[in-house]
Amino acid sequence: MCKYCTIVPHDVLVRLSKDHSFSAGVRQGLEKTAALDSEIRKLREQARKVTRVGLSNAPIGLAAQLPGPPNVVVYDCHHTQTLPGAPVVNPGSSGDPTAKAAFTVTTDLVRFYSQIFNRNSIDGAGMTLISSIHYGSKYNNAFWNGTQMTYGDGDGQIFVDFTRGNDVVGHENTHGVTQYTLQLVYANEPGGLNESLSDVFGSMFRQWQASQAVNQADWLIGKDIMGPAATAKGYICLRDMANPAAPHCLAPQPTHYTQYQPGMDPHYSSGIPNLAFYSAAMAIGGNSWAKAGQIWYKAMTGYGPSPNLKMGAFADRTRKVAGQLYAGNAAVINAVDQAWKKVGL
Amino acid sequence: MDKLDVERLGGFAGFGGPSARIRSRGVCAMSDLSAKDRSSVEDLLAQKVKSAPNPDEFVYRITKRTANATSTVEVPESMVPQALKNCVKDELL
Repeated sequence: MCKYCTIVPHDVLVRLSKDHSFSAGVRQGLEKTAALDSEIRKLREQARKVTRVGLSNAPIGLAAQLPGPPNVVVYDCHHTQTLPGAPVVNPGSSGDPTAKAAFTVTTDLVRFYSQIFNRNSIDGAGMTLISSIHYGSKYNNAFWNGTQMTYGDGDGQIFVDFTRGNDVVGHENTHGVTQYTLQLVYANEPGGLNESLSDVFGSMFRQWQASQAVNQADWLIGKDIMGPAATAKGYICLRDMANPAAPHCLAPQPTHYTQYQPGMDPHYSSGIPNLAFYSAAMAIGGNSWAKAGQIWYKAMTGYGPSPNLKMGAFADRTRKVAGQLYAGNAAVINAVDQAWKKVGL
Repeated sequence: MDKLDVERLGGFAGFGGPSARIRSRGVCAMSDLSAKDRSSVEDLLAQKVKSAPNPDEFVYRITKRTANATSTVEVPESMVPQALKNCVKDELL
């Protein structure tokens, strides 16, 4: 795949294709690239429309009954920024620990979503899960680009290999689930909710893999990707769902809705709903995925697309879902209500 | 000489957030960029529109400082020329 299809803006490609300081061959290539870029953008938009229409017409739960489990595939970028990279053959038995981790953790995540939430892959219909590893050089990030997961190796100082964090893998894949369910925009309150859902399900997955009850879990996000330079300064995680403002976080967050300001980075404002989930799960007790997770999952997947959903509206959904799923269980219903009230919602 | 202040924001780690102890910044001279990159930067600055990134994708805040004016734009990493990406350095606070 040509990397310039995504890196160079379309209008720049078009302008350069008309620049006679370039040879005819180069201009022709640029013109073709611009055309391809335009078609790819149309395909992406079309895919979003199809997803939206499909979600609005399909009976809830039908998609999960259709195909078998998804394929999990891994590509190696070999330290370039060209996606998806070269396919890794048999990644589960690879001598490259990063390839092996990307495959095995993602495969386990498929099992988590299937066994705990009866969800078949990101789209609920067995979509192939693509992970690209060794992205860029000393790249300090992992991201979901709308179609696949991408992991950097870290610089070895502040961060190490991002595939070492099972919560990171859970976080990035859950951005895909959000894209196929709530379709939250990635800004303001919906953006903060988007980030929080990825932290919530990433943390639950981490706890599920360790068979931890809520009071055994550390509720830290990014603990396993912190490098020696970060830990030497006392930073043990990126975020702490139990204490979002803690000084041991590399990126401390607000803990109450009164601190929210429009335009905040989603990674910052997500501290508010993160603390609500933690508080609800702790008050309910047991395993986070057994009750609190079921409530959050239903609020996330049971209402169709809500791109501009605000935190207060999501809180009310979880209250409603708690009443539906656990009618007569006042402890659960009250735990959810009090958790949101604690953060001002 | 026209200068570009470049800051990398967001990402999975929340670089450059209000309380974040990690940031990524750099400065480069327009004259050090290739003609193609200078043109790309001018196009980005002309957009003046805040584009939404993909989830956890870095955002770059690019500020051009001249003798007479300053203009800033924030764009997703996928739109930023490699030369500008190369000029930032991650640091812990």
